Amino acid sequence: MQKTKNERIVADNLADLYQKAANRFESLPAFATRENALQWKPVSFRELCNQGLDLATGLIDLGVEARDHVGLFGDNRFEWILSDYAVQFCGAADVPRGRDVSDNELEYIVTHAGIEVCFVETEVLQNRLLHMKQKLPGLREIIVLDPKAQVKEGVRKLKDILNTGARLRSEGDTRVFGRIKGIRPDDLFTLIYTSGTTGRPKGVMLTHANMISQTRNLPGIHNPNDRTLSVLPVWHVFERVIEMYTISFGGCTYYSSIQTLGTDMINVEPTFMASAPRLWEKIHEKIWKGVKSSHPVRQVLFHIAYFLSRQYKVSESFLNKRFLEIRKKPWWELMFLFPFHLVRWLIVLPWYGFFNAAVLERIRLSAGGSLAATISGGGALPIHIDRFFNYVGIPVLEGYGLTETSPVISVRPKLNLVVGSVGPPIKDTQVRILDVETGQVLFPNKDLPYEGRSMRGEIQVRGPQVMAGYYKDEELTKDAFQDGWFRTGDLGMMTHNDCLKILGRSKATIVLSSGENVEPEPIEMRLQQSQYIDQCMVVGQDQKSLGVLIVPVLEAFRLNGKQPDSLEDLVLNKEAVQVIRQEIRRLISISSGFKNYELIRDFRLLDRSFRVGHELTNLFKVKRHVVAAEFNNVIQDLFLNGSNKNM
Amino acid sequence: MEFPSQLLYAQDQALLAIMIFVIMLGMGSSLTVNDFKAVARSPRGVFIGFLSQFGLMPLIALGLSILLGLPPAFAIALILIGCLPGGTTSNMFAYFSRGSVALSISMTTASTVVALFMMPLLLNLYTVRFTSQISETMRAAGAEADFVIPTGNIISSLVLVLVPVAMGMILRKKSPGWAKTAEDTAGFVAIMVILYLILTAFIRHGGLFLQTPIQVYIATIGIGMAGFFFGYWFSRLVGMYPLFQRAISLETGIQNGPVSFAIILLSFNEPVQSQMLWLAILYSTFIVMSSSVITLYFRHKGKFDWDVYKNTQIHNRLFGNEYVTNYPKDFLPERLKRDPSQGTSPIQKRD
Repeated sequence: MQKTKNERIVADNLADLYQKAANRFESLPAFATRENALQWKPVSFRELCNQGLDLATGLIDLGVEARDHVGLFGDNRFEWILSDYAVQFCGAADVPRGRDVSDNELEYIVTHAGIEVCFVETEVLQNRLLHMKQKLPGLREIIVLDPKAQVKEGVRKLKDILNTGARLRSEGDTRVFGRIKGIRPDDLFTLIYTSGTTGRPKGVMLTHANMISQTRNLPGIHNPNDRTLSVLPVWHVFERVIEMYTISFGGCTYYSSIQTLGTDMINVEPTFMASAPRLWEKIHEKIWKGVKSSHPVRQVLFHIAYFLSRQYKVSESFLNKRFLEIRKKPWWELMFLFPFHLVRWLIVLPWYGFFNAAVLERIRLSAGGSLAATISGGGALPIHIDRFFNYVGIPVLEGYGLTETSPVISVRPKLNLVVGSVGPPIKDTQVRILDVETGQVLFPNKDLPYEGRSMRGEIQVRGPQVMAGYYKDEELTKDAFQDGWFRTGDLGMMTHNDCLKILGRSKATIVLSSGENVEPEPIEMRLQQSQYIDQCMVVGQDQKSLGVLIVPVLEAFRLNGKQPDSLEDLVLNKEAVQVIRQEIRRLISISSGFKNYELIRDFRLLDRSFRVGHELTNLFKVKRHVVAAEFNNVIQDLFLNGSNKNM
Repeated sequence: MEFPSQLLYAQDQALLAIMIFVIMLGMGSSLTVNDFKAVARSPRGVFIGFLSQFGLMPLIALGLSILLGLPPAFAIALILIGCLPGGTTSNMFAYFSRGSVALSISMTTASTVVALFMMPLLLNLYTVRFTSQISETMRAAGAEADFVIPTGNIISSLVLVLVPVAMGMILRKKSPGWAKTAEDTAGFVAIMVILYLILTAFIRHGGLFLQTPIQVYIATIGIGMAGFFFGYWFSRLVGMYPLFQRAISLETGIQNGPVSFAIILLSFNEPVQSQMLWLAILYSTFIVMSSSVITLYFRHKGKFDWDVYKNTQIHNRLFGNEYVTNYPKDFLPERLKRDPSQGTSPIQKRD
């Protein structure tokens, strides 16, 4: 009985999934859109499916063929998912991108993907597309999602196509069901153009089989009582897979936004959520601020609670063998530590129990109180943030993947939370580690000690979620694979408890003139622990030593007793420079585990922060090549006359 | 049996008095006038709870005393515990056991008021055979007077305990920040003081634990467990929603320990006082452990119906009160399907 409640829908393709979900969950809400804090508009699985079939019939009538590529430019809203339903029902694939797409990208994508029919979310997007119409001879139809938008001549409204489709279906048009029958598992469901951290957009071809394998293989126990809060852009495959997964178990997705996240968390009380590390950092900051502004007695209680929780959780994970095992711990060390942890666990247990109930529960309530699990992906979660959430009792399941792997390769399951790792590979997925220089297989390799665990190298993946290839780019596709394994380009290792640990992106590797290879990410993550440092990027390719570009936290500074007005004021301010210098020295030192050549020899403060869509990807990853180009003169200046100018 | 008189020194008594004050202040700080009004809104739940608290619990205490053949002083103490109103601890446990906190709070407030006349009444009714036993022993020892339950004193100590509760309520109105602090501190202080009492008892009267008859241990652990068990099944048999079953079960088993300390210290004298106090201390210790275990069990068992309740409640909160959540046919078990309160239960008290 209990088992059938948590069952997920098994489907052949997304169109099949959407129909089966409607048959099983009927009038349960599938998606909800926010009108104001306490007023949301639900749409049921059945309604969504029917409207999707209507819209699909309308699209077929417009001449959309099976396996066509249909543009879908816009952000999270109900009409977006409705359009996706329709495109899948047509047997076509969508080519999604957010509102913040640049004109160049827009032109490139529409041309490269051969888009004839295109959904756009807003009036602005419609105007931008119309503006470049001459350059896009293939583009036949533009359909605007926003019902409030003023449409120009020759542009259609979603509502009209929906109505046409509904009329046709009521007159007995059943073409759409023929299309659904014709979908093959290796047909594309989407073509995602990634700008990623390097180079020009690549069209990642993801098939129905890719996505269905994810909804089947993601670990987790959910049922129609679950509420998923959505904040990441839906056109990103990470958010998309969470939505498809939510459909498969009958949960409802609530469309929130970064601005309203705080209140939405309290009102929706989500049980499940996906998010990027940057967002967790923000929430972490907010919680700390809340603690600091609370009553002094309560602050003390919080610190006691946090301390106890840390003692408890560390011992608990030791006793459950859930600690990060990068090096194989000898048995006698475990034997020696076991009684210590057992005693500590037992002593702390009742106190932890009390403080967990009385103090930490209030912290959890600020995140709605019902969060059973949250997934972090799209970048590395700083370890102190990771620990914080796990200690206060909001388990963060860090995952790992790329758009090319639709996207989840591995994720920490709730019952095997090894902080610092991205968990074991999910079902049906194989991972191997290759030596970057020699190309030798390090893991799994029977000839190496522990079959090559704890050896660092490039991560390669094989599994049902790996993409079909890059669209119209055989060379790039060939490069992306090696003997049938997908090359992620990320460095990592397999730990001794069979979890994957990510050590940085091999393409981000900085090679110093001394020939030393430096992974900038761990250094940057360490620096970001500082309350004074908002964003940073380590530079130093082909230089003698490392430098770092820093965006300071404006609010953290007080100059002559008052807060500075802008970042520009800080750049030349001696006091501020001194503070940052001390922070860098404190955080990046030999004693904190960094090697000599990893130490920062110089830095520059930047006068503006990195922006999403420009220097940052939508998941807040720094686009290194963009920053390098934008701040070229700063970097030049940094390395002008050797080092030791600032440190 | 030789039982040490003077279990507590004067400074311990003072400490205990402070603890009672702090705990009752914390209890008041968590209450508002609305909580009293809420009683009127869910009269059925509160009435079932009342029957369970003042009907079942004293009977369980009496039954255990007779069954285990407890010495009269211990028996009176156990019955006294059985007749106590609920405390705020049960609200916290109700919350973590995924029970109805609103009902738990309503029951606590209602029972605290009702206890003013129910307690003396029930105590006199159920302790007759034990008071006469004590009177006989006292007369055999040469005493003139009979041993009687000091009804007047009990009522005045109950009133006295309500003073800090009222103060807490005023505090909450005047300064919510301090009230929250008082609420959090109270629980912590309670645990510290109980541990201190146990520890001092152990150091001063090392043999006390061994001298205490095994029956007393069984009684002090058993009364809580039996309260949970009968509270749960009684409310289930009369058809309460699982959410309320868990709240009633915990409210029945968990009594307001500090009130019993106050009554024993203010209304009873030696030779019974120390024994009664010792039993109250043991009960207060064991009840924390047993309710923790029960809470974890309820939390696990109740996850599904709680999720259903929560989800429908949030649907109504966000989609409007008319919204009806229709689960697939085989999703809800019969017991939840039949329940008329599904999705329309009183909003949880949370801050």
